[in-house]
Amino acid sequence: MSTILLLAACLLLAAPAWGADALNVYTAWPESLSQPIFKAYTARTGVPINFIRLSTGELVARATAEKNNPRADVIWGAPGDGFAAAKAAGIIEPYRPPTAENVPAELKDPEGYYTAVSRNTLIFMSNAKLLKEKGLKPPTSWSDLLEPAYKGQIQTADARTSGTALTRILSIYYAFGRDEDKAVEYQKRLHQNVQVYTKSGGGCTIPTAMGQAMVCIAHMPDAMEAKKKGYDMITTFPREGVAAVIEGVALVRGAKNREAATRFIDWTFTKDMQDLLDKNEVYMLPTLPGASINPAVAALMKEAKLLPVDLDWVGKNRKRLVDRWVNEVIKE
Amino acid sequence: MSPAAPEGSSRAALRDPVLAPTVLLLWAAVSLFVLYPVTRLLVLTFWDGGPTLAPVVELVSSWQHRRALGNSLLLAALVGGIGTALGFAFALLAVRARLPRGVGGALDAVVLLPLISPPFTAAIALIFALGPKGLISYHVFGIASLNIYGLGGTLLSETLTYFPIAYLTLKGVLGNIDPNLEDGAFSLGARRGRVFRTVTVPLAAPGLANSFLLLSAASLADFATPLILGGTKFPVLPTQAFLQITGLYDMRGGAALSFLLLVPALAVFIAQRWWTERRSVVTVTGKSGAATSIKSLSPGAVALLALVCAVTVLLVLTFYALIVVASMVRALGADNSLSSAHYAHVFSGGLKAIRDTLVIAAICMPLGGLFAVVLGFVVARTRFPGRRALEFAAMINYALPGTIVGIAYLVAFNDPPLALTGTAFILVICYVFRYSLAGTRATTALLAQIDPSLEEASASLGARRDVTFRRVVLPLIRPALLAGMTVLFIRAMTAISATIFLVSLSWSLVTVRILEGITNLELGQASAFSVLVILLVYAAVLLASLAMRWLNAGNLGQAGTLLGG
Repeated sequence: MSTILLLAACLLLAAPAWGADALNVYTAWPESLSQPIFKAYTARTGVPINFIRLSTGELVARATAEKNNPRADVIWGAPGDGFAAAKAAGIIEPYRPPTAENVPAELKDPEGYYTAVSRNTLIFMSNAKLLKEKGLKPPTSWSDLLEPAYKGQIQTADARTSGTALTRILSIYYAFGRDEDKAVEYQKRLHQNVQVYTKSGGGCTIPTAMGQAMVCIAHMPDAMEAKKKGYDMITTFPREGVAAVIEGVALVRGAKNREAATRFIDWTFTKDMQDLLDKNEVYMLPTLPGASINPAVAALMKEAKLLPVDLDWVGKNRKRLVDRWVNEVIKE
Repeated sequence: MSPAAPEGSSRAALRDPVLAPTVLLLWAAVSLFVLYPVTRLLVLTFWDGGPTLAPVVELVSSWQHRRALGNSLLLAALVGGIGTALGFAFALLAVRARLPRGVGGALDAVVLLPLISPPFTAAIALIFALGPKGLISYHVFGIASLNIYGLGGTLLSETLTYFPIAYLTLKGVLGNIDPNLEDGAFSLGARRGRVFRTVTVPLAAPGLANSFLLLSAASLADFATPLILGGTKFPVLPTQAFLQITGLYDMRGGAALSFLLLVPALAVFIAQRWWTERRSVVTVTGKSGAATSIKSLSPGAVALLALVCAVTVLLVLTFYALIVVASMVRALGADNSLSSAHYAHVFSGGLKAIRDTLVIAAICMPLGGLFAVVLGFVVARTRFPGRRALEFAAMINYALPGTIVGIAYLVAFNDPPLALTGTAFILVICYVFRYSLAGTRATTALLAQIDPSLEEASASLGARRDVTFRRVVLPLIRPALLAGMTVLFIRAMTAISATIFLVSLSWSLVTVRILEGITNLELGQASAFSVLVILLVYAAVLLASLAMRWLNAGNLGQAGTLLGG
């Protein structure tokens, strides 16, 4: 009896869900950052964009499971390592937008599987009140974070869930002159001061803002989002430098709305869209030369020593870096 | 017109004109929506040109995964044990302490809170209450360095989240115990402690075992709580499986870890079976005498129970007070001025998610409730061959971590002819086949207390099996149906791990909006959505109780008390 009801419900509800004319997008960006950009595209072209926000890992897992009958047309706004994984899983296909040749080579996949929408980096965010209570200066070096005063006072992301954590590991790797063993050794000592590794990259910002921890190591847009809400936070960069990572875009292999998808990717690399990063106060840098840069972002970025990242090397070595984090850094 | 006696042979069961097609339908549904997706995923995991165990071998060699297996078992046992004890304390207080009506209702309302909270919200409230600068830990007790990340925090959060299941199960069971049995023991000169030990507890044993099973299984499958509170010091299997898939982009490894989880789940299931079938706990016989007053609890025991319950209630209330406050201020901790902005967002941008969730919940409840009681009845009351296998198959989706169920559904139902992804239907079946277990368990536990002679009497008067089911069994197991439907509604409003993979643009869910709120650092919005979910669930539970009381019209008192009337 229940099955009959189930089947009846099936007939009632199994209406086609994904519109034919709309563009379907998976994104890892928070709605507050991605939606204004998608809306702007719809306003200009009349093409509605349906999107689902997923964490990078969930996004790749979902797209992989849907491989034979893809539901998304474009993956837009996710960290570079997610695209490396997507490329390895065979769920994206090469597509070079016409203006992409202006994008510097280090910001795109050599085989054209993905291209950087924006550049992103890491920042230290400290709770001003707590620092003052303990008479501490905000950390301006990776070695500052090893001070005993920070014991159990640092929150940052788990390397198995968050692109932010990979940026952190890469920052340390490049800051230590690409000496991987030294970088691991440093992380082991940092681990002694870490209170908890959060699931999402931005997961440490609100707890730190609320005084649960003193310092949070996060991606710049997440940290600035918390600051915008009015929390009394100080942002600093380590003087050894931070890794410049990318947020990318790619065409899904076998996309149902391929033409609409490529048009949207093309638009991503126009000044029109790249300027939106400035207008919408997205704390990332545009990748298209000539796009306007938000003065606040530019001022902040001036403090940062950006270390260039070799995308190809990251794609090939990410798994080992994360494995070493699991098996050496956090092992007790 | 076949004899409906449960003692009938399995051959007779096969010929039964109502039972046989019912069982076939149950099997068809379970095969399609449980076994098929799981098999697809098994093949994906353990088939690489030929059968291979390589993914498991590789994973078991990792220190984290080995420790995770041990941790999962430890946590499940602790949550099962402590949660059942706590639930039993609440149930005893509610059923046996003759609380004033208002107090009992208030107790029920508070106890439900953790069960009906959306995921993440409760864990985050716990951090703000008991964390390093927590409201209770720091501002009340002055402890600045309390570390809640690890076994302690995870255990506390899971116990508080799941003990209401024990409470609901045990309240029904205790309510069904005929006080005359205890009176008999008293009149034979036994003291209170002895009566409690030798009469009350053994009679409640199936309920206790059930609740232990439900809580352990819930803990084994919960990934959200340890994800936030376990930290890196306390890895558990469901979290590791989730991390393997979403963090290491290793679906095969994650699936292999999840299938490891089925081993303890199966063990708990078999243990529970063995335990309940050794004893006869029939207390509803149809020949019960007048109920006498209950005197199995001493005033001292009541005071102790009241203390335990009061501390729990206070703790729970603090968590939720924090969520309510967060939903009403601009930005908790930074700008504590009152603001209705978060609710304004919920009722503009969030309206579609609320509507979708309610539609899906409304479809889930009758389907899942019926599925649960029919399955429970077939398992407990018939001799149909393979009914144990059916019962076990039906609980697989519940035992597996949600991430895996979600991915299995994606793999199985993304391609024609069964292209269900993107529809509401895939969410509905996911809930029905993942969360009907509570209803089935409640049904079997209640039926274990009801003498089959009631059904035999109906059958011997010439009623067909379906008529007997409808007219005799269904009224008796209404509390189970109600409990099952309520749990389904709650889950539809709160579950996330499986559905994060199944939501689409046409069908969104409130829980996904809450998760978005937390990821977007919009604590206020997430809290406002959570408050709304809690209010909606309360409204539904209240309606269900009222409906049940109206339906019963006094012929089964405990239906109302199951969810607090």
